[in-house]
Amino acid sequence: MRRADIAGLVDDRPADGVFRVHADAFRSRQVFDLEMATIFEGGWCFAGLDCQVPNPHDFFTTRIGRQPVVVQRGGDGVVRAFLNACRHKGALVCHLQQGNARTHTCQYHGWAYDSAGANVGIKLLRQGEYTPAFHAESHDLHAARCENYRGFLFVSLNPDVPPLAKHLGDMATFLDLIADQSPDGMELLPGTVTYTYRANWKFQVENTGDVYHFTSTHPSYIDVLAGRKAKDGAGADTTTYARFREKELVRGSMCFAHGHSAMWGSNPTPEARPLYASLDEVSARVGEARARWMLYVRNITVFPNVQFAENASLQMRVIRPLAPHLTEMTGYCLAAKGESPAARERRIRQYEEFFNPSGLATPDDTTAYEDCQAGMQAGRIDWHQGYMRGMAVVQQGGDRYAGELGITPQTSAHGGFEMGDETIFHGPYRYWRDRLVAGA
Amino acid sequence: MSALAEANALLFAEAAALDERRWEDWLALFTEDCLYHVPAWRDEVTPTTDPRTEISIIHCAGRAQLAERVQRITGGRSVASLPPPRTAHVVGNVMLVEASDAALRVKSVWASHVFNVKRQDQHVFFSRVEHTLVRQDSAWRIARRHALLLNDRLPTMLDIYSL
Ligand code: FES
Ligand SMILES: [Fe+2]
Repeated sequence: MRRADIAGLVDDRPADGVFRVHADAFRSRQVFDLEMATIFEGGWCFAGLDCQVPNPHDFFTTRIGRQPVVVQRGGDGVVRAFLNACRHKGALVCHLQQGNARTHTCQYHGWAYDSAGANVGIKLLRQGEYTPAFHAESHDLHAARCENYRGFLFVSLNPDVPPLAKHLGDMATFLDLIADQSPDGMELLPGTVTYTYRANWKFQVENTGDVYHFTSTHPSYIDVLAGRKAKDGAGADTTTYARFREKELVRGSMCFAHGHSAMWGSNPTPEARPLYASLDEVSARVGEARARWMLYVRNITVFPNVQFAENASLQMRVIRPLAPHLTEMTGYCLAAKGESPAARERRIRQYEEFFNPSGLATPDDTTAYEDCQAGMQAGRIDWHQGYMRGMAVVQQGGDRYAGELGITPQTSAHGGFEMGDETIFHGPYRYWRDRLVAGA
Repeated sequence: MSALAEANALLFAEAAALDERRWEDWLALFTEDCLYHVPAWRDEVTPTTDPRTEISIIHCAGRAQLAERVQRITGGRSVASLPPPRTAHVVGNVMLVEASDAALRVKSVWASHVFNVKRQDQHVFFSRVEHTLVRQDSAWRIARRHALLLNDRLPTMLDIYSL
């Protein structure tokens, strides 16, 4: 694709009060291939959590973009990432989702690699009558960049990327609001649920910051909560959404450099959160403002492929695009270490009911993405009108709420629950456009 | 009727109620304090076992929670639940594991065929199921339904009619 064509997919005219994204961003195979090459395989992607590889030689496998990757803690304690592809003929060398292995021996011709990805054996090397040219090559697994921010592991297949801290910028504060919830840190609860949906990956990026959809997409979930409340009164205020209409709620958004974005909102039922029980301890450790923000609803996207949604519970979701119209999602439940058994169980039930593709809310989101993808085949509707709520109040830099956190986003916007801000999508699409244009 | 025949009859009644979308009949097969559980998987070979500390695909404690799901499926306010899918549940390999006058433990295998009419796609969900049946008012009722879903990479969504 030509650069001008790509740049033209985002109609970004703030002075005219216009922001639009072209439907080809969601349906074009050429755009998809460019996204994979430049964004997913050309920059930082989330890979997993440090706590998934606590011991030497622990590993997990994943994909960065389209490419199979092993993330492993070496015998020296360093976590590395390398391509999960044998140097002999490219077979996968690691077959499990997770495990512990000092070596990976390829089961095709028996080449062996240690837990740092170095080749430690070529079967019948001496007898192989190899040329000097062969010996001159490295036989190690291809290394990828791997960096850790407070337990969040990121991998880049492109070695020429800025340090992770620079990539995250002030978005890191929103990761702190997760990592600091317990003095002992966070843990990943056993059991993940993976699902696919037949629509573009960016619908997922958008939906997580989309306040506007909640009342129209999730009335059946709202009905369930209302039914519980009618049945046993206040005892049913057990999720963040139980009383979302009843109080003065602020909703805001921030966009950061490199495509990251955060939606946040004050919480009508902070007492429903497991964290509420340890609020004094948390405030003493991180300060009143950050403790309060931990209780807020926060849905964040660390561009391009990981989201943390803390509302009914705390979900980490990893986005894996498979095709322009096909995406795989994996959901993980994160929890503060050391919370009480009752709080833990309540967290899990809220998680399942809200976030699972077998729950009472997420299927309606996912179905809506599929409906959008199907509707976007209507070629005469190239430009959609879903990016302009909140444009009259969005401001450059940080608002006073960003000030509470001491951070400086590129843009920020806030208003009531019903404003349903859509400027939260602008930063991600501006970065998306710039990366694709640079990579075209 | 033998205990095995009674267990068969109840499982077939459950499958038929789901396929025919007779939700009240389906709910009536469960005890009020039933447990409906579909564990998630920890890794390739290990399902989760303790729903208090590990994630489940579905965990409903009590018939009232199943009724909430029925309300969502039938209420017309869930875009994911409309139009209704067509399903055919095939129940096989039914075995009595334990039997007394008061309770039966029954193992079976379910192949649940789901055709989503709007998306024009279909999927077979297969699971190994264990029912605990108890006798209430001279009829067997489901006190526990534990379905180990084997193909857990879910196409868009899954609900009680998919199991
Ligand atoms: S492909 Fe791995 S040893 Fe041949
Ligand atoms: Fe939603």
